[in-house]
Amino acid sequence: MKEKILEIKKSAEEEIKNVSSLEELNNFRVKYAGKSGLLTEVMRGMRDVPKEERPALGALVNEVRTFVEGEIESLEKKLSLEKLNEKLKGEKIDITEPSKNSERGIFHPIQRTFNKLLDACVAMGFEVVTGPEVELDKYNFELLNVPKDHPARDMQDTFYVTDDIVLRTQTSSVQVRTMENRKPPIKIVSPGKTYRSDSDATHSPVFHQLEGLVVDKDISLLDLKNILTDLLQILFGKETKIRFRPSYFPFTEPSVEVDISCPNCKGEGCYLCKKTGWMELLGAGIVNPKVLENCNIDPKIYSGFAFGFGVDRLTMVMDKIPHMRMLFENDMRFLKQVK
Amino acid sequence: MKISLNWLNDFVDLKEISKKENVSSKQELANVLADRLTGVGFEVEEILDCSKHLKNVVVGKILKIEKHKDAERLFVCKVNIGNRDVQIITSATNVFEGALVPVALDGADLANGVKIKTSKIRGELSEGMFCSGEELGISEGFYEGASVNGILIFKDDFGPGAKVEDVLLLDDVVLDVSITPNRPDAMSVVGIAREICAIYRTKILKQDLSYKTTKKSVGNFVSVDDRAFDLCPRYMASAVENVKIERSPLFIRARLFCCDVHPINNIVDITNYVLFEYGQPMHAFDASLLEGKKIVVRRAEAGEEISCLNGNTYKLSNSNLVIADAKKPVVIAGVIGGLNSCINDGTKTVIFESACFERSSIRRTSRAFGVRTDSSARFEKGVDTASQEVGMKRALSLISKLGCGEIAEGIVDERKEEAREREVVVSKNKIDSILGVSVNQKDVKEILESLGIGCKIEGDTLILNVPAFRLDIENDNDVAEEVIRMYGYDIYDNCQKGERKTSETIGKYDPVLKLQREIKGLLIDHGFYEINSYSLVPLNAHEKLGLVNLSEEVVKVKNPFSDELGALRVSLCHNLLTNINYNFNRNNKEIKIYEAGRTFHAKSNPISELPVEKDVLAFASTCSSDDFFTFKGIVENIVSKYDVSFSLKYSSASFLHPGISADLFAGEKLVARFGKINPVVAKNYDVPENIFYGEIFCNEILTLPEKKFEVKKISKFPAVERDLALVVDEAVTVGELENLIRQCSGKYLEELCTFDIYRSKQLEGKKSIAFRIKLISDEKTLSEEDISKIINKILKRAEENFGAKLR
Repeated sequence: MKEKILEIKKSAEEEIKNVSSLEELNNFRVKYAGKSGLLTEVMRGMRDVPKEERPALGALVNEVRTFVEGEIESLEKKLSLEKLNEKLKGEKIDITEPSKNSERGIFHPIQRTFNKLLDACVAMGFEVVTGPEVELDKYNFELLNVPKDHPARDMQDTFYVTDDIVLRTQTSSVQVRTMENRKPPIKIVSPGKTYRSDSDATHSPVFHQLEGLVVDKDISLLDLKNILTDLLQILFGKETKIRFRPSYFPFTEPSVEVDISCPNCKGEGCYLCKKTGWMELLGAGIVNPKVLENCNIDPKIYSGFAFGFGVDRLTMVMDKIPHMRMLFENDMRFLKQVK
Repeated sequence: MKISLNWLNDFVDLKEISKKENVSSKQELANVLADRLTGVGFEVEEILDCSKHLKNVVVGKILKIEKHKDAERLFVCKVNIGNRDVQIITSATNVFEGALVPVALDGADLANGVKIKTSKIRGELSEGMFCSGEELGISEGFYEGASVNGILIFKDDFGPGAKVEDVLLLDDVVLDVSITPNRPDAMSVVGIAREICAIYRTKILKQDLSYKTTKKSVGNFVSVDDRAFDLCPRYMASAVENVKIERSPLFIRARLFCCDVHPINNIVDITNYVLFEYGQPMHAFDASLLEGKKIVVRRAEAGEEISCLNGNTYKLSNSNLVIADAKKPVVIAGVIGGLNSCINDGTKTVIFESACFERSSIRRTSRAFGVRTDSSARFEKGVDTASQEVGMKRALSLISKLGCGEIAEGIVDERKEEAREREVVVSKNKIDSILGVSVNQKDVKEILESLGIGCKIEGDTLILNVPAFRLDIENDNDVAEEVIRMYGYDIYDNCQKGERKTSETIGKYDPVLKLQREIKGLLIDHGFYEINSYSLVPLNAHEKLGLVNLSEEVVKVKNPFSDELGALRVSLCHNLLTNINYNFNRNNKEIKIYEAGRTFHAKSNPISELPVEKDVLAFASTCSSDDFFTFKGIVENIVSKYDVSFSLKYSSASFLHPGISADLFAGEKLVARFGKINPVVAKNYDVPENIFYGEIFCNEILTLPEKKFEVKKISKFPAVERDLALVVDEAVTVGELENLIRQCSGKYLEELCTFDIYRSKQLEGKKSIAFRIKLISDEKTLSEEDISKIINKILKRAEENFGAKLR
């Protein structure tokens, strides 16, 4: 009897090694541990065994049964996992198929430039102020020291709505409105659309400006240089340098053109800066005392500086956009390159 | 403004400057001067080499002409070019033995683009080419014979072998200088010479302006009556008799030609010469054509007319200043001369005018008639009242020098007041505080004096004596600019960053831009691309959108480029549809775009005050995956943070489909609208019908209060979900049923979701709407009885009100 039990164990040990599927395992279970399996059969044969041997043999059968069931359980776990993995493999998808609703849109390049400029200006303590695009001649020109029939009007070909209402040629109009309504210190930037009737390959009748104004006590050209250096370094990198060249704007005196060291070649000279290492980027100057006076700010106490960017051109420089018109055509093939 | 170096050399010792700058050629000198001028505020836009197309072109004397052996129409010429003879093959028939002609030799690059190379023509060597005037780039006005159809035959006795650029006095380089509107005084050779002298701290070369006169007084020829001192503060006139009208000498023609002025005859050329040299416009009359020997400066009378040198006749009005004789206008003052008094081949006596006209009057008249001449261009920038005299004297000295007439004694000089130097007092400290750097007093004095501005220093005070031509210098800032531009802006290159002097301020965004940036972020997440278009649109854009009712609101531009950009937009829909059309035509079909910008609405018509400007953000999609409800979702998302109850109505916008569109109201305020584009409008823009469009009215949204929330306790009792499918007629809306469910479930409703709408034949024209109702209580676990009560109430009321049946 004992031999028989041990033989069962041995054959079970041998047999389970060859079990490789859940079906086979089930047959194995039926054969050994089932209701009419070998171990049950042995237990039934226990009746014929002398009484005193029964406990030891019973224990042995139970031991073998525990062993067999343990083997079955662990193998079943293993086989189920294998089967599941097999099934999961079969569920494999093509992960290169297109994604759903994942395409991200964009800010237009000009708006991206505005965002960068405005973020930098706000960080530097400027308040962003906007104003009307259709503007009184007074705010666009007259209070800015450009009376009617002044030759400086030739600098900006103007769209008129009536004799006294124009499409603003510069966002400086917002500066005048602000100065009229506030007391210094004033530190603002005014972004927005501007209009001029001189269109060609490099000028569009509708374009974008950002102008800045600081009015405070003892403001000098050096302060202008310092603030513009900070601003342009935020935009173009810490190593950016700026330089002044004399210029003329009716609302500033002295007036300067501001060049920056070419952000593309770092001043070495390249096609973008026409090998000069410098790029003309904005106009600026000390606010003409006549303009302060026009806005009821006492030029004996206060002085100020102003600066103005052409944002479209700045965008062309920053994003290396070859043609101005691309910024206004909005061809999806262009926009999709902006990421 | 074109400035010739040869001309400049009359006023500035350019040899000296070349030495200082260590340059040898004119071209190099031009480059240096361009840099220097740009450095002091006169940007040189271009440097033009007048002899560019005359290199390797020399004077040749034709010694012998023979027929080409192998070519019927060609001639073989033996030509002396000074130290040697060359052989030239030509087909020209106007040449003859003994003629002096321009010969382009190997390497010449002619004005018409032809490059000359020695070559064989039908077996005969040709070492160059005879040139026509056109090939040399010169005009008939500049040199007689330049326009003949054939070779230019020199009339002057030039020596064979001489360079043509030398004999024609075209060995010149011209600087094209951009003059800013504050510096009209620099619009002349003398003006630029003054700046150059200031740069190099040298003295301007004085010119001999003397001339001989006859004993006859100018009064015998002309009298002047200035009746409009406000528009003509000074008028000078002189007379020259026994004039012989002929070509000017070559040096005058060459200088004018290099500055793009067509030489005409000696008298007219002298007026132009003085204009370019001294910046004083001049005019010349034929004295015999001035009735009453009289010049009257006056406003034109209504109805007067004048036929002018450009061939046009102008109807004058009281706002136009004219120069008249005793009877009729003879010049539109400062703008253009009349045919009735102009210099002609028979002119014997000339009256010269040298006047000052007020700039804005000239500007208005020139604009009104659309006539722009060198004279009007100069006057409208502003001419001071001192330069008439020097201009007149220069003209008369040229007459004298050229011997082309006899000058009457005296000059008529009618003027309001004498032109004087002005005293301007400024503070050195103030100048330093404007500049932020200190320029020492000695340099300041030296700079100002080099500019012709007298400078006395008394402590901090500078007392300046400003010459009449510097109308722009009035205050500390003006003087600060003069100092720093001459001292050099490079002083700032090495300035260390000092302490920030400006007050501490807090940066802030504009609320509209902030809101727009937020909404843009949301649209970007939904895959929309921002576009950037013109706010100027075609005059009929609103009509294309069906917004005929807004005609009165449209703001029109008085002087547009074209009707295509003739008005300001009343809706962004035009821009978005135009862009969709543009992209469709380029086979870009999946388009999701948005734009933020203003729309413009006139308050009255005709416009008398500024229009209303609205900040709008519009978006559109052509993608089949987007529909009304995608757009509804986006809009709801945008307004979800506001504490307002919104209501939806079918949109009243003409460009939207009346049944597939909505206006979103917050109370009475229209805050957004969206929907499918109206098919009629789609057709107008030639775009497909299945486009969805939405617009958000930012200014309205900004008036809404934002939600403030208080956190409520989360119930510890379980929630119960019930799904309910109700079959109703098509006319019953989801919104009505949702409202009913909300009312019936009262405080127990936690969530209501419409999760399916089903239509099929079996439902016989009705629809089945499935709701998921989530109920919960703060106080207890809801019993089956509680729930049934609610559900039954819903079913009962839904049947009563809407005929709904449980499916």
